[in-house]
Amino acid sequence: MPASRSLSRRDFVKAAVAIGGGAALSACQQRESPALPQGPDDPAYATRQHAWNDALPTDEHGNDVPPRHHVVRLLDYQGEGTPTADERETVETALRSLERAYPRSHEVEDGNAVGLLFTVGYAPAYFERFDADLPESVDLPEPEPLAPFENPTPDRPDVAVHLASDYGSVVLAAEEALVGERESVNGVEMAVSLDGILADADLDDDGRARRTGFIGPGLPAENQDVQGIPDSEPVDEDAPLFMGFESGFSGSQATEDRVTIEEGPFAGGTTQHLSAIELSLDQWYEQDSRFHREATMFCPAHAEEGAIEGTGENLGASNQVGDCADDVASDARETGKVGHAQKLARAREDGMPRILRRDFDSTDGGRASVHFLALQSGIGEFVATREAMNGTDAASEGAVGQRTNNGILQYMSVERRGNYLLPPREHRALPGPRP
Amino acid sequence: MDRRAFLAAGAAAAAAGTAGCRSLFETRSARSPPLVDDRPDAVYVPTHTEGMSMVGTAEAGDYRVALTYSFPHRFWTVDVDRANKVEIQGSDSAHLMGTVWDPETGTVVPNSSVEATVTRDGETVVDRELWPMLSQNMGVHAGDNVGLDGDGTYEVTYDVGPLSARTTGAFAGKFGERESATFTLEFEQSTLRDLPFERLTDREGDPGAVDPMDMEMLPVAQLPEPGGMPGTALATGESGDAQFVVVRTDPPTGVESDGSYLAVSARTPYNRYPLPFMALSATLTRDGESAFEGALQPTFDPELGYHYGAAADLRDGDDLRLVVDGAPQLARHEGYETAFLAFEPMDLTLSSGP
Repeated sequence: MPASRSLSRRDFVKAAVAIGGGAALSACQQRESPALPQGPDDPAYATRQHAWNDALPTDEHGNDVPPRHHVVRLLDYQGEGTPTADERETVETALRSLERAYPRSHEVEDGNAVGLLFTVGYAPAYFERFDADLPESVDLPEPEPLAPFENPTPDRPDVAVHLASDYGSVVLAAEEALVGERESVNGVEMAVSLDGILADADLDDDGRARRTGFIGPGLPAENQDVQGIPDSEPVDEDAPLFMGFESGFSGSQATEDRVTIEEGPFAGGTTQHLSAIELSLDQWYEQDSRFHREATMFCPAHAEEGAIEGTGENLGASNQVGDCADDVASDARETGKVGHAQKLARAREDGMPRILRRDFDSTDGGRASVHFLALQSGIGEFVATREAMNGTDAASEGAVGQRTNNGILQYMSVERRGNYLLPPREHRALPGPRP
Repeated sequence: MDRRAFLAAGAAAAAAGTAGCRSLFETRSARSPPLVDDRPDAVYVPTHTEGMSMVGTAEAGDYRVALTYSFPHRFWTVDVDRANKVEIQGSDSAHLMGTVWDPETGTVVPNSSVEATVTRDGETVVDRELWPMLSQNMGVHAGDNVGLDGDGTYEVTYDVGPLSARTTGAFAGKFGERESATFTLEFEQSTLRDLPFERLTDREGDPGAVDPMDMEMLPVAQLPEPGGMPGTALATGESGDAQFVVVRTDPPTGVESDGSYLAVSARTPYNRYPLPFMALSATLTRDGESAFEGALQPTFDPELGYHYGAAADLRDGDDLRLVVDGAPQLARHEGYETAFLAFEPMDLTLSSGP
């Protein structure tokens, strides 16, 4: 973790990321001012854009620690017809400029911290402009509702750029440089920008083209003065997410290998699902018991046994719900509650999770929410995982409701969903469907 | 100054300066009298009854939906077999309720999911899933205490369903979609003060229940007496202070069976409200041999009402064991929070005779 961050400064930086823009950036940099080295002159990174794990710090249990600050920019291609070779080169050059400006990770006092990591993804809508279809090796449908009780607006931009860093100022500077509002970053001149080729997407129902957020101890507690969290400031200072518990246990994360597309022209790529989920935690924090929170986040057995201390950090590298995955039906009948993690554990294949979570919390629009960003080898893997989370089978037993007592469904409302292809690095700049 | 700071400052000023607010606070505590001592592990008469204000009703797909509200009050959620008391929060200004029914038969849907979104001038004030609840004067409904931003005009949207129970008979294939109804709520604190409120000092704590409220425009989810159930009533069991009426009928549309159908109608004593969100299983024995064993499926039927059922061949003289695997996980208003939590198995002998 970057050294010497006072709480007020972290709070300030998060606010700056949410607001964005040049003024926010300069204010943010004055406060944060990380002494970051520059990136390599000739960045020759792995073919997998999503290969972030080797740049992430790990905690004492061996869990990968995600970058603390995130921005996703949803963009539309501005040209008529299909992208030209010149435009591809411009986009690639801009991305390389960013890679030259910032290291993926760098050493700090007590380990390493993330400089800048990013991915570029393409929605099904982007590929519609080409005559050819995507190959069958790419499972990339248009986004759809994934539960009988949700009605999300589909996000249909062309492009999704996900930027992440342990420094809010880096995320801000990088996105400004990309869109051409800044000529140099971290002492490195941007050769070109995306300006004129890609611009903020026009999304249905006034969807935000810019999604911001954070994850990590302290940040949710400092940003809990928003709609969806009660005024009593219940979010624990140690909690990495608004709901107060750890997530991202390495035992519940798919490996980068598992989520990589294996065949075809996009081998080495992956798919990304990005949903915007509003949180309503008044009941969670003011009405529900601690027992209920533990039982519905993990599983009833954990709650009965008192297995979870505080945020659940004591669980180590695994949420340890593997043993109760088979008990969903009996727990639904006998305890009237089933756990979120417990249901998800059923979606594992050969004991291995199928999606790699890179989600983060947000206060976009003054509302507590989650940008649930997940990587998987095909969108079908996400759909299967989400189906397990729906717990429709648990609800049919009687005592568990469709959303009440059914994991954490009661506290979430999925507002938007979008699907993207993250091509391998060599095809990351405005690819055709058959590169 | 952010919204919350502003509200906090406003509340402080109001508490110091206006009689209206003070009397509201007094009303709140006066309307939440202390619980009776030594509450029985059974349905009991609460400390008080209260009225409610009807905002309106609206069509929503297969449903008809009503929006009503009252002043905030304590209630209990259920953790397995324990009641978890939910206190009134300082920010709570009303108890918001939704009642959902089938407009053709007037049958209340007792276990629908109702998500409430309350906005004022386009700003979201409340957004949450209402608790499925049981109260003595209203029966099953959806509700929660919510904090509004004072008097004014609010838009309330209820997103309802889909129903997770099996649907049978004329309900087969219905209630499978999520539907939406929107209401305009002109909220005034003074309305809450004017709602009927009656202490039950003479009866509070006694076994019993207050009568269902006579609600214009609103059906109440009352089930028939055992003899009034469709088909043939074969036995009535009691456990956890709930009553379980065992009925044999022809299989309703939506149930595959050549033989008869076993329906167990679980209800509250006195008011005969259905008890949804329960897990129930049955073992049927005839001449020492098992004739049926398994879970009973939560089912919603226009004639049988909400019940737990399975295709099973029932005959006079059969022994039926009913086991409540999981207590009804619906929130309880005062007078129901100590009942329907712990259940002994019921051993019944079936008889269609008088």
